[in-house]
Amino acid sequence: MARRRFDPSAPIFALFALLLAILVFLPMGWLAVFSVRGPDGAATLTYFAQLVTDDEMVRPLIVTLIVATSVSTLCTLVATPMAWLIARTDMPFARPIRLLVMASFVTPPFLGAVAWEILAAPNSGLINQVYRLAFGLGRSDRLIDIYTVYGLILAIANYTFPYVFILVANGLDRIPSDLEDASSILGASRWRTAARITVPLVLPAIVAGTLIAFLQAMNNFGSPAIIALPAGFHTMTTKIWSMFQYPPQPGMAAAAAVPLLAVTIMLLHLQRAALGRRSYAVVGGKGAQARIIRLGWLRWAALAYCGAVVSAAVIFPYIALILTAFAKTLTITWAPEGFGLGNFEFVFFEFSSTKPALWNTMLLGVMAATAGTAVTLIIAYVTSRQAVPGHRVLGFLATAPIAIPGIVFGVGLFFAYTHPPLVLYGTLTIMFIAFLTTELPIGYQQFQAAFRGIHIELEEASRILGATRLRSLRDIVAPLITTAVVSTWCFIFIAAIRELSAAVLLYTANTKVLSVVIYDLNENGELGAIAVLGLLMLAVTFAVVAVAYRLPRATSIPTSA
Amino acid sequence: MADVELSGLTKRFGALAVVDRVELKVAHGQLVCLLGPSGCGKTTTLRLIAGFLEPDEGTIVVGGRKLSGPGSALPPERRNMSMIFQSYALWPHMTIRENVAYGLTLRRLPADEIQRRVAAILDVTHMSQFADRYPGELSGGQQQRVALARALVVQPETLLLDEPISNLDANLREEMRFEVRRLHDEYKYTTVYVTHDQAEAMTTADLIVVMNRGRIEQTGTPRQIFEEPNTEFVARFLGGTNILRGRRLGGSGPEIVDCGAIKLVCERGRGTGETAPVSIRLHQIELHRSQPPGDGRNVAPAEVRRQVYLGATRDYLVALADGTELRAVTPSDLDIAAGTPIWIRLPPERCRALAS
Repeated sequence: MARRRFDPSAPIFALFALLLAILVFLPMGWLAVFSVRGPDGAATLTYFAQLVTDDEMVRPLIVTLIVATSVSTLCTLVATPMAWLIARTDMPFARPIRLLVMASFVTPPFLGAVAWEILAAPNSGLINQVYRLAFGLGRSDRLIDIYTVYGLILAIANYTFPYVFILVANGLDRIPSDLEDASSILGASRWRTAARITVPLVLPAIVAGTLIAFLQAMNNFGSPAIIALPAGFHTMTTKIWSMFQYPPQPGMAAAAAVPLLAVTIMLLHLQRAALGRRSYAVVGGKGAQARIIRLGWLRWAALAYCGAVVSAAVIFPYIALILTAFAKTLTITWAPEGFGLGNFEFVFFEFSSTKPALWNTMLLGVMAATAGTAVTLIIAYVTSRQAVPGHRVLGFLATAPIAIPGIVFGVGLFFAYTHPPLVLYGTLTIMFIAFLTTELPIGYQQFQAAFRGIHIELEEASRILGATRLRSLRDIVAPLITTAVVSTWCFIFIAAIRELSAAVLLYTANTKVLSVVIYDLNENGELGAIAVLGLLMLAVTFAVVAVAYRLPRATSIPTSA
Repeated sequence: MADVELSGLTKRFGALAVVDRVELKVAHGQLVCLLGPSGCGKTTTLRLIAGFLEPDEGTIVVGGRKLSGPGSALPPERRNMSMIFQSYALWPHMTIRENVAYGLTLRRLPADEIQRRVAAILDVTHMSQFADRYPGELSGGQQQRVALARALVVQPETLLLDEPISNLDANLREEMRFEVRRLHDEYKYTTVYVTHDQAEAMTTADLIVVMNRGRIEQTGTPRQIFEEPNTEFVARFLGGTNILRGRRLGGSGPEIVDCGAIKLVCERGRGTGETAPVSIRLHQIELHRSQPPGDGRNVAPAEVRRQVYLGATRDYLVALADGTELRAVTPSDLDIAAGTPIWIRLPPERCRALAS
């Protein structure tokens, strides 16, 4: 008679679920409480009333809507043709362009904003300097001013369009070209086929990309903090941040976070519906080679177009950062003696914040990446193998943070861990919790995809031949999942070391991270030091990305909010 | 004594009983096919035997040892079974040799013994020259042979096969059917084989178990299942058949069923209840240009609706006076044009009354 030995996995997973639930819902619960609790402790709706009546609150709301709508429209209009040109035409240099789009994708938006500040500040901006020099104009003349709503839209769109690009390009890659051939054989012209077959099939991806771009723009804190604040206006995220400055208005901040949360949840839902309902558009796998459309001489026009976009997003900003890092003064003189290593000396040997911030950033990055990889690996295994009852709950908990904007989560964490019994404010632990929780969905998605590729029968085959569950995990699953483990670690690490919006609410003097230091330096106008630190951050990022992409099997880019 | 014995085996997913009170005895060395359409519970039954699932009711006893019961299931690795999966489940990161040797390594056999047995089984399955390749470098048929080798090399007490050849193309499938049977005759493991393909079941099985909606419809030798189906489901599932329905006239002697346009004397089978379905195989219906001589039993006028020339045979669709359509397969030299009035005869010794 076989007696089943006590299975410890069920209580362990229950504990796991509880821990995750606390991680995610405790901050959100406190956020809800603070948003309806007046200074006297009684329940009140004044904050929400203020949100729609007080001009101080309504204006940021309107600005945010304008910015997010403009950014998502702009990104869709710019990135959709780009994706089509690169996926479906004989445009030259498609591969370098694709790589530059990826570079824009991994560039922290706040760093891009700083670079655009260097390029297009009204007086010192490089573009304006060149403009004045070229036309012999006076000091007050300018071509472009980044400190405007338009400037902000431009600065955000430059680092948001890759979301649309990736979704649309993947969508196009997956349309089997026999669907298009079927239309051609029935007599449709090339353009008619594009209009009636290709566009409708890829439309869900375009819609999803637009929604994601909207969310990215709406929940972006770094870019408006760098561009809108000096320009004298607020978006919702900077407004929320300002309520944690003196005098603090926690209740108002909590209430202001609610619309961001609500819109994010709603749009993610719409996005899923857009991608989900017409999923036939993306199934069918790699059929025949996609048909390449010949553009003739137009392909040089296409290249110019794509080149312009990546120049604005990557080439010019990176050049600006490099020049600034080596420049001796803010006003670049273009003469060789105007360049030196002074900024590097300052950052690495004189500036006291560098070392602790680097240490904190690396420590948090490694810890969040390691813990996040471990946790999501286990959750994805459990949900994909349906190993325990209630596995769906675990999956939901690991996905839920995707719907919580960084700044909103920062506000929630601030409330949850600033009073007993859990006083974590001012510790690295609270930053760790913030980074870990916000990056869970990335890891979970990666591993879900990976486990989908490892047929459960591979494990069963080893079980039936006599291997225990642990043994088959070691012999079969572990070797097959290694690639996904490394790439997931890399993705979480990159995301963690650039996180600003939650960090900016949670840091104290001892727990500054790189992104916060860059933000601080910007307030003091230390662009040279920022450029050095920014380049350092980019170097680390690209090194880690290179590791992830050199792995034997290609991994997918997470395309989430 | 039965080597594998399932009693009252039941598995529910939610409210649905996917496997419903299944009773089955498989004798030592026998090859049993679980045959049925997708969703009939055959794969679930196999996975219960393997120990990947735990039954809600009933027991599984193998060689006198109880392996599964509600709340107590020996894990798969302690059942001394082998299984061949629909996906083959060859480990992509191991060579063919490593794949095949894995089960032996788990059993802690000495290295030279492992080497000898792997070489022997690769020889039997004609895979020796591919020993150092990876599964991704083999064709579907070759992968299938590796899966067979990997399962057989450990000399299991019980061998389980889950639709092992349904992913192969038609020619290879036919070849592998005989290969499975050949290897079974060579090693004589007690084998449970799941398939939805009746030709596969006919070729390989000692015993066929036809399953439908989680239950066993009928168990028997291939010949019994084909010639003596007890239910309409079994008659339809194995080989083409015509089903006519009618009122039972009762009386002693052979069953007589009144189907309206034709009254059928059924010398085989027995109905239940008021009405009964009658089964007659396509190739057992006789077509006559004029009224056939004889006692006139099971004869009726009909009309040819259409006919198709298929080389060795012709496939006819004929209609009785009341519009009931029947399919008949005849030698191809019987050529009667569509629209021609004819007579058909359903020989009483071929008509089988079924339980309703």
